[in-house]
Amino acid sequence: MATSAPAAGPGGGAGNPLLRRPGGTRSRFRFSGFIRWAGLGGAIIPLLLLAFILIVLLIEAIPAIKFNGLTFFTGSTWTFGAQYGQPIDSGGIVHQPGESFGALPQIVGTLESSAIALIIGIPVSVGAALMIVERLPKRLAHTLGLFLEMLAGVPSVVIGLFGALTFGPFLAHHITPWIASHAPDVPVLSFFRGDPGQGQGLLTSGLILAIMIIPIVASTTRDLIRGVPILPREGAIALGMSDFECARRVTLPWISTGIVGASVLGLGRALGETIAVAMVAGGNLSQIPSNIYQSMDTIAANIVQNLDAAITNPLGTRTYAELALVLLIITLAANILARLMVRRVSGTALPVGRGL
Amino acid sequence: MAKKIRMATAAAAMVPLALLAAACGSSGGGSSSGSSSSPSAAASSSSNGVSLTETGSTLVFPLFGAWQTAYNTDVTDVTITGSGTGSGTGIADAATGTVTMGASDAYLSSSDISQYPGLINIPVAVASLMVNYNVPGIKKPLNFDGKTLAGIYTGKIKMWNDPAIKAQNPGQNLPALKITTLHRAESSGSTFLFTSYLNAQDPADWPVTAVGTTVSWPSGAAAQAETGSGGMVTGCQSIKGCIAYIGISYLSKTQDAGLGEAALANKAGKFTQPTSDAISAALASFGTIPASGSQSLINTSDPKGYPIINYEYMIVKKQQASAGVADALKAFLKWTITDGADPKFLDAVGFEPLPDSVATVSQNLISSISS
Repeated sequence: MATSAPAAGPGGGAGNPLLRRPGGTRSRFRFSGFIRWAGLGGAIIPLLLLAFILIVLLIEAIPAIKFNGLTFFTGSTWTFGAQYGQPIDSGGIVHQPGESFGALPQIVGTLESSAIALIIGIPVSVGAALMIVERLPKRLAHTLGLFLEMLAGVPSVVIGLFGALTFGPFLAHHITPWIASHAPDVPVLSFFRGDPGQGQGLLTSGLILAIMIIPIVASTTRDLIRGVPILPREGAIALGMSDFECARRVTLPWISTGIVGASVLGLGRALGETIAVAMVAGGNLSQIPSNIYQSMDTIAANIVQNLDAAITNPLGTRTYAELALVLLIITLAANILARLMVRRVSGTALPVGRGL
Repeated sequence: MAKKIRMATAAAAMVPLALLAAACGSSGGGSSSGSSSSPSAAASSSSNGVSLTETGSTLVFPLFGAWQTAYNTDVTDVTITGSGTGSGTGIADAATGTVTMGASDAYLSSSDISQYPGLINIPVAVASLMVNYNVPGIKKPLNFDGKTLAGIYTGKIKMWNDPAIKAQNPGQNLPALKITTLHRAESSGSTFLFTSYLNAQDPADWPVTAVGTTVSWPSGAAAQAETGSGGMVTGCQSIKGCIAYIGISYLSKTQDAGLGEAALANKAGKFTQPTSDAISAALASFGTIPASGSQSLINTSDPKGYPIINYEYMIVKKQQASAGVADALKAFLKWTITDGADPKFLDAVGFEPLPDSVATVSQNLISSISS
């Protein structure tokens, strides 16, 4: 690899004595050739990895895709069937009697819990970032920023444990019963009515995810706000705008693209978060929550909790490959969508993904 | 810039702290391993020093812990380590070769065997499964049959003072309290035993497709998922109105947690609790065990028998990697059903020893292990 570049590179320079520098020329060119190839490799490897994962998952999943068909996306029963029954061979695909894999509840659960995380996480993060940069005294802001970054480093299993042992039961005993009995019976808000449960379910999962994305979104937004030039803000203040108006009309529009980008980072985390959600979701594989407190499951939590059972099921690992493929595609789709949104929001005036 | 530098110094200041903490931790571990290193080093040098690993059933785990300690003391050239992860993991890890033994409350399913034909399940003890509840003011054990439990777990029965529960518990003062059903989050042999009982008693409401180590729980009930038998105990303790299924080896823990222990209806319709006599009576009512060791002991027809009992299995590969491992494994498994079946081990967890006929089947299965 390294030899081909110098052969082509210094070929022209070697003939011209004026271009040749005394000593080190060859090694210099060889080095730059190496850098070029290494850079090319570095650029291609992630692409190859993604393609490799997609292809391997797809190949692994083919029997499951054939067996499950569209039921995978429309069905809402996820069962390994009669595990102690005799395996059935239908059209070359061996499966257990009564086996049915409808992933709709988990797809919905993944999207709903991530949506709750974003709905709660983004305003809190942006508020916190504005506060840290613009309102708080430097020393306090600095400490707060440090804690924010430390929160980002808390392992998800610790947050999950907190959710399962402390936060979820606290919600169920002190907060949600009141909300459940006082929420008005109108569309959207009626989703908050019903049995407040025991602290495992959609709401707890969403809130736990919000805790996990806030440090990511907030610290990114903080850095973005710091990057807003002082001139437009001085102009706004000179026009007599209040701090709030200045933030709303100058700072936030200036960084809106970046906030979308930061939110996508958070969304990526929320969609794929596994262990913390598995600990607080309630592990109900076949339930689309009819109120916000009900137990549910996400794709990632299902995979981590039931892979054991899948290994000893003829179609199990195949189906989980299909499920992983779906999660991968959802995450990629969210990323692509966000990129399109960033382009639309930013228009031509602002560089795409400013500050990220 | 100054702020950045300050932050960098703060971070730099924390690095030695972290290192110090790590050093303390490792030196603590080092000193304890240092004291024990001489015998273990001697053991590995004196003979082959085989290490046998186990994962699986949290129901077996308290017993396995006692076995492990005793056996490691007696036999110094073999190291046994175990962990409670749920029967599903036990079967899966034994199948994939991650561990030497997988402990399971459930015998291998036809699905398991079709996937991993090289696996065998060896009965090592007789256990049972309790149904526990946290209902204030109930002194005497509550009675349940499979139909009522199926109603509770499908969400048809939502309150403790439901007529269906009252009908089986005359004279009990059942409160108007919401029922929360607990089930295992991970793939579990307890789940298999419990759902087998529901299916045996009430096949109409609990179909055979809902029997297994991983179950798609009906969505009607107010349900919670818990990890491990221990998680079921603590979960049920913290939720008033809960109902849970927990292995007999956690009996003392459920009593400490103040949970009630139900009397369950057997096929004859009599309500029994998992006493030693009730387990023996149930065991006697089932026919001879097949040579494979796989036998369901659910829903006994004996009026005195307890309806949810099971053999605890060690799942192993028939073909072991080396003669050393195979011999050590055979010796250990043989020990579990002879010396290991001593009351000093089994009584503490509420297990019963294997009847002689079953012990013979186990012996044969153990002898079939080769390298």
